[in-house]
Amino acid sequence: MKSMERREFLKIAGLAGLALTGVGKLDLAAATAQQPSPVDLAVIQNGDPAAMVRKSLEVLGGISRFVKKGQVVVVKPNIGWDRVPEQAATTNPDVVAEIVRLCLKAGAAKVKVFDKTCNQARRCYQRSQIEKAASDAGAEVSHIYPQKFRKVTISQGKELKSWEFYQDALEADVFINVPIAKHHSLSRVTLGLKNIMGVIGENRGHIHNRFDVKIVDLNTVIKPQLTILDAVRILMDNGPQGGNLNDVKEMNMIIAGADPVAVDAYGATLFGLKPENLGFLQEAQRRNLGRMDIQKLKIEKVNLKA
Amino acid sequence: MRTARRISQAIFFLFFLYLFFQAAYPYEPFISSDTLLRFSPLVAITTLLATRQWIGPLVFAFIVLGLSIALGRYFCGWICPLGTTIDAADWLRRKLKRQSQPSRHLRTWKFTMLILLLVAAIFSLQLAWLFDPIVIMTRSFTAALFPIFGFLVQSLFDILIRFGVFQDSLYAVNDFLRESILPLEQVYFQNSVLLLLVLGSILLLTLLARRYWCRYLCPLGALFGGFASLRLTRGITVAGDKCIDCGKCQRECKMDAINDDFRSHSRVECIECMSCISVCPTQAISYRLNFHWAPENLDISRRRFLYSTAGSVITLATIRTAFPNKIAHGAVVRPPGALPEGEFLDRCVRCQACSKICSSTGACLQPALLESGLEGIWSPIVNARHGYCEYNCNLCGQVCPTGAIHPLPLDAKQKMRMGTAYFDKSRCIPWYRAEDCLVCEEHCPLPDKAIKFDIREARAPNGEIRVVKFPYVDESLCIGCGICVTKCPVAGPGGIFLTNALEQRWEENNPI
Repeated sequence: MKSMERREFLKIAGLAGLALTGVGKLDLAAATAQQPSPVDLAVIQNGDPAAMVRKSLEVLGGISRFVKKGQVVVVKPNIGWDRVPEQAATTNPDVVAEIVRLCLKAGAAKVKVFDKTCNQARRCYQRSQIEKAASDAGAEVSHIYPQKFRKVTISQGKELKSWEFYQDALEADVFINVPIAKHHSLSRVTLGLKNIMGVIGENRGHIHNRFDVKIVDLNTVIKPQLTILDAVRILMDNGPQGGNLNDVKEMNMIIAGADPVAVDAYGATLFGLKPENLGFLQEAQRRNLGRMDIQKLKIEKVNLKA
Repeated sequence: MRTARRISQAIFFLFFLYLFFQAAYPYEPFISSDTLLRFSPLVAITTLLATRQWIGPLVFAFIVLGLSIALGRYFCGWICPLGTTIDAADWLRRKLKRQSQPSRHLRTWKFTMLILLLVAAIFSLQLAWLFDPIVIMTRSFTAALFPIFGFLVQSLFDILIRFGVFQDSLYAVNDFLRESILPLEQVYFQNSVLLLLVLGSILLLTLLARRYWCRYLCPLGALFGGFASLRLTRGITVAGDKCIDCGKCQRECKMDAINDDFRSHSRVECIECMSCISVCPTQAISYRLNFHWAPENLDISRRRFLYSTAGSVITLATIRTAFPNKIAHGAVVRPPGALPEGEFLDRCVRCQACSKICSSTGACLQPALLESGLEGIWSPIVNARHGYCEYNCNLCGQVCPTGAIHPLPLDAKQKMRMGTAYFDKSRCIPWYRAEDCLVCEEHCPLPDKAIKFDIREARAPNGEIRVVKFPYVDESLCIGCGICVTKCPVAGPGGIFLTNALEQRWEENNPI
């Protein structure tokens, strides 16, 4: 036990510097992505998943707005559960793969795909079919290394003053959040902001009480440059892992945008929820992470069937 | 010949390791991981005696045993992975230059052990787990060596990676290892130190004499020895006229099997290792398989037989009359598909193969110590605070060599109730603190969740009135997988716990 403690200490001491430089880099990357956007949200419907992803980025002004040559990109899907894509508990593998392909096409040096899973990781990676789809598309898909979590001070944290974050997420030049839209008993719905829980360490159960504040605390550290919400199939009940196909609704929709709060706000409406009734969206807007007043945003809807 | 034997030992040891590492998710075996365990005649005979049922897959063991009529204790010398490990540990004895030759009378101990196990088995008490070498190997590797191995290899990578050079290649190699033999995350087994001590003691005995365990203690060796005493072939043969009485063969013999005339040996003891052939300066020793019938006396006196039978009966009575600790027993949750408790304990040989494969998925199975009584030592139990039964996993039943855990199809396993979870409202966050949590409900894998919640107003400890989601367990839905217990963020015993209430066991006549 003693040697374990020493090891932990060395890990923290030896790499504190590294983690700090990682945070600095991320802020820099966030700043460079602040370019004028043609539209705030792209809402694409009724195509095959890959086509909808392509279209959404076209609407947003092209992937090159977000990914520059030589950058390291993290594409963060939800691989949390040991479920198959049809059960709508994990992000659609075709969506993930298409994003990976676009990033590589835009000249990304490397695209990393990972998630800290709730069920056993190998099962989730395989059965969600994300592992195969993403690595076939050229991504570096790896299971979480417990050793790669770094304690980060959350300067804007209200409830959480510090937490462990995954090194690869902290050091990424570009972070693309790819959640799936699902029912969740606690937060009513789980979308992009909650998907950030997949890059944090420690006991995530502690995030659950006073969730609305804590989830926003986490989102002040990891700020995705792009959020692409998978609403190809959405889970209407018994979330976040479902299991009953009757709870799955075919929406055939992709919602994408640079503002993570706006994407979530739009996603909430798919469940008949009003963004202003969701605590975590209110909190996120209050803290200037983005806007939930979607009526006032520029939204371009494209129906690929039409 | 000696080289051939060593190659065989190496092959079978690697085979053992292959089967061992193969027992992990995703499990798509070319050869079932319990193959070597099914080779053990001791496991087979005691299980058959204890259960009085024919268990098909154990038929291999009788072929293995039958061969010893022709080949003597070939298994001990050429195949047994514990024997190979003991041979490997022999370098320590050589290094310390230990030389001693215990009395040959000790040989009979192993027959005492064998009789003890067989008599116990007749009285329906499975004790082979204590002394069967293949079981000892599987269990020690699982619960004692595998965690250590994983820790050391991963630590090595952690240290190398910290240097900051070749990180990508190091991670690539590390990933490759994690995809093959390393666990994704460190595995832990309770009582691992105890299991390490057992294996360590067996290996250290070699300081007293080479293959001490095999010579004097191993009941499986005794069983093979019994058959070897009736062997129909000659085996090691000495050409008396060529022998120069140098005694090199006797000094070399691992089993002290060569008699003082240097021309004859105990075929009950000889493990066919061929070392004597290699060291003989005049090539007087050869190996022959021609017909030869000369049954050998087994050194078991009637008195010793009675003693060991009495010992067995007393052991049995002691175990069976151990205090039934109802509090502890209520918390004993068995793997899904486990047979009814009595039959389960008769069949379970405590090899912990189930816990090995479980450690690669939900990691709920652990070797028991006294939780399920003396009789249940090292049988698999669920430690739900450490791990949970993965809803989509049915691997434990697939690697059980004796069918103590019935191999259930996935849909049947998903309905099999291992027990039921209960809230401890004095420890559950919504109940004692009037704050939402619902981690348990989030993780409940059932399509219709067994954890439901009421939404009510409640007074928080600070007097504030809040609307809170209060979770409860729907007993009619819970299958006792324990993931709610594992994931509960409350420290210590947690706000929810698992018992074996309403558990189902697999029964032939009453399948799910």
